[in-house]
Amino acid sequence: MPTSATKRPGIGGRTLGLIISTTLLFAVLSLLSQSFLSSYTMFVISRQMAFYVLIALSQAFCLVVGQMSLAVGAIGSLTTIVLGLGLETWNLPAGAAVVLALGVGVLAGLLNGLLITRLKIDSFIVTLSMMFIYMGLRSGISGGSPYKVPESFRAVGQGSLLGIPYVFLLVAVLLGLVGFMFRSTVFGRRLLATGGNAAAARLSGIETGRMVVWAHVLSGAFAALAAVLWASKLGSAAPETGDDWLIVSFAVAIIGGTGLNGGVISGLGIFMGSAIFMLIKHGLVEVKANPYYANSFLGLLILLAIVIDRVRQIYSDKQKGT
Amino acid sequence: MLELKGVSKRFPGVQALDGVSLMFAPGEIHALVGENGAGKSTLIKIITGLLQPDRGEVHRDGRRLRFRSYRDSLAEGIDIVSQEIEVIPESTIAENIMLDKLITRGKTGIIDWPAVHRAARACLERVGLPLPTGTVIKRLSAAHKQLVQVAKALAADARVLLLDEPTSSLTEHEVATLFGILRDLRDKGVTIIFVSHKFEEVFALCDKVSVLRDGRLVGTKSLQDLTRKELVRMMIGRDIDRAHLGRLDAERGREMLRAERLVRKGKVENASFAVRAGEILGFYGLVGAGRTELARVLIGEDRLDAGTIYVRGEKARIRSVADSLERYGIGYVSENRKEEGLLLQSPVRTNITIAVWPRIAGRIVRAVSRTKETAIAYRMIDGLDIRTRGPEQKTEDLSGGNQQKVCLSKWLAADCDILIIDEPTVGVDVGAKDQIHRLIWDLAKTRGKAIILISSDMPEIVRIANRILVFRDRRIVGEIQGVDDPAKSYAELSAAIGMHLH
Repeated sequence: MPTSATKRPGIGGRTLGLIISTTLLFAVLSLLSQSFLSSYTMFVISRQMAFYVLIALSQAFCLVVGQMSLAVGAIGSLTTIVLGLGLETWNLPAGAAVVLALGVGVLAGLLNGLLITRLKIDSFIVTLSMMFIYMGLRSGISGGSPYKVPESFRAVGQGSLLGIPYVFLLVAVLLGLVGFMFRSTVFGRRLLATGGNAAAARLSGIETGRMVVWAHVLSGAFAALAAVLWASKLGSAAPETGDDWLIVSFAVAIIGGTGLNGGVISGLGIFMGSAIFMLIKHGLVEVKANPYYANSFLGLLILLAIVIDRVRQIYSDKQKGT
Repeated sequence: MLELKGVSKRFPGVQALDGVSLMFAPGEIHALVGENGAGKSTLIKIITGLLQPDRGEVHRDGRRLRFRSYRDSLAEGIDIVSQEIEVIPESTIAENIMLDKLITRGKTGIIDWPAVHRAARACLERVGLPLPTGTVIKRLSAAHKQLVQVAKALAADARVLLLDEPTSSLTEHEVATLFGILRDLRDKGVTIIFVSHKFEEVFALCDKVSVLRDGRLVGTKSLQDLTRKELVRMMIGRDIDRAHLGRLDAERGREMLRAERLVRKGKVENASFAVRAGEILGFYGLVGAGRTELARVLIGEDRLDAGTIYVRGEKARIRSVADSLERYGIGYVSENRKEEGLLLQSPVRTNITIAVWPRIAGRIVRAVSRTKETAIAYRMIDGLDIRTRGPEQKTEDLSGGNQQKVCLSKWLAADCDILIIDEPTVGVDVGAKDQIHRLIWDLAKTRGKAIILISSDMPEIVRIANRILVFRDRRIVGEIQGVDDPAKSYAELSAAIGMHLH
């Protein structure tokens, strides 16, 4: 459901396009490979998709208020280290270690938000600096080697219900809640309004600075959640977690129709965006594309999503005759 | 000879120019006057190639000009001096003056800086600005920036020179220098188009005057056989005879807002006033005189440096817009509808209900009740006669007048008893203007709202306000009680802001 301050509920043309593309990709891949429709492939793909959704949401919360976060992956990375420290070095119970790790993610987001709003520094510069600070901390603390996690900790990341990964189910519920939040709650609406037109929102009594801080807090929380679940899936807390999240977060959010200038987000769009992203990645493996070129494909994909959106916009402006 | 033939330009919701034909001859200083929104700036933008007309043509000495950009008009020898067109703040005076004609050493492409500075200095001397040409622009005062622009036009050897309110930040001495330069240029056969609010200047400097009103040309007159009164009449037109909407009986109304010696450093000095329920208090003055600045303090958007605000008789501490809305019931309709008033991409419903979401949300989850929201939207659409296909229409698609009604309805939905309405009819069609006037008047008359109306549109403020405060240079400099005789009020207002009619 496109949840934006802009569109009425219902499936907009953009989301419809995403659904069609996903279906086409899905069909092509099923024809291309016999193993594609196997329950194992579906399990792996759907679980991976769930991670992409979390990472994209982490970015989308910032985009929605008209900002960005380059620290999405770095926060994930730092969180992973804290989780590893908690579980291996300090021997904390799993629950406590998870809460600690999530707390660090929230704090990192809070710090970003406060620096941006209190000191009025651009989100680009703040999150760029924080990205390097967190990455350095990550390497310095861990020395580059992964932390062990107890067997029991893997249950969520590796388990499934009726063949559907727990992670996927969890993310589906979360995505629904996020969609509801933006569509119907005062808080979500205010986030959208802040991104849609900050000046108008402020003059309508919305404390936009506070909204921006909240957006970064949510961003940090979702990055941390993705990191914790990733460690659970992997069966270890690996320091390199988050290294490829930056590009993923932008790619999936943008393909999913999140407005780059703020004020527009679609839960269903992000879901579809992550599906497309996953299917293309999978497809590249199927056709045995040289993996060294993978980043070029990702960049091209983002560019393509933006170009398509831009063309649509120009076209609709022309129709209006402005 | 620069000639406009039947030039028309339409913006969404307003006909900015409607078949304007005008001739500007070489060797004349031609004044262009009109109320805010009369179409002056659109006309200037068309002459300078910043906008293209929908219909009509621009001719120069019998040749049709087709400008696709500002550069094209520069190449044609048309130059503009305006506060809106910024000089490059980080570069030097010399670079700004010589920007598009930097002198190079032969064909090497390497800039000959001494030559550039020499040429720039020559131009600066002509405008009487004794500053080193290496001074960085951003260190200059607004007045000096303006003179640099004039120097730039001189360097470009402009044949047509447009000046948009060029004296607003100049001292008397600088104005005299500027006028000397302009007369000199006129005698050299340059066509000068002079846009100004200030009548003394128009009469002192110009040869001819063309008056625009609501996008149409009212007429072109030689200034020699024109009196100030006649010029005002041309500007204001039929509105001058249009009656005040009626007396607002505000004396018995409760005092809703009182300000005592409010100060916002550099913006507002010692502002004291009070407004009652059922009253429309006008804030009249030119842009930058302190009216909007005062409003921003009243709604908590800008900090109050000194002074006291009382709301409904009690001392108020307004720290944010949220405060002014929730605790004191003050609503502010911004003069910049599109930039500060509306979420243009959002449906009309969102814009109407944005300030009341918390009040119509459930208690625990804080989900906004869609039913209540739509009901409020419909109530406002019907009550204010907002022309829209329905509450879900994108706000951007509405006309200017209807967008303005949406802005107003936001505060009505929020039950604000004190409304500050800033330039409500800028960029709005004549018909919609009348409707908005009646709407605002009615809010005071039948619903007992206390309204502060900020406007630099004289007929507007005279028509609906029942008391007018005049602002000049950050201060309240006068008060006009009981607006009964429009002609008398015009004279008083003009005198108060220094636009003497007699």
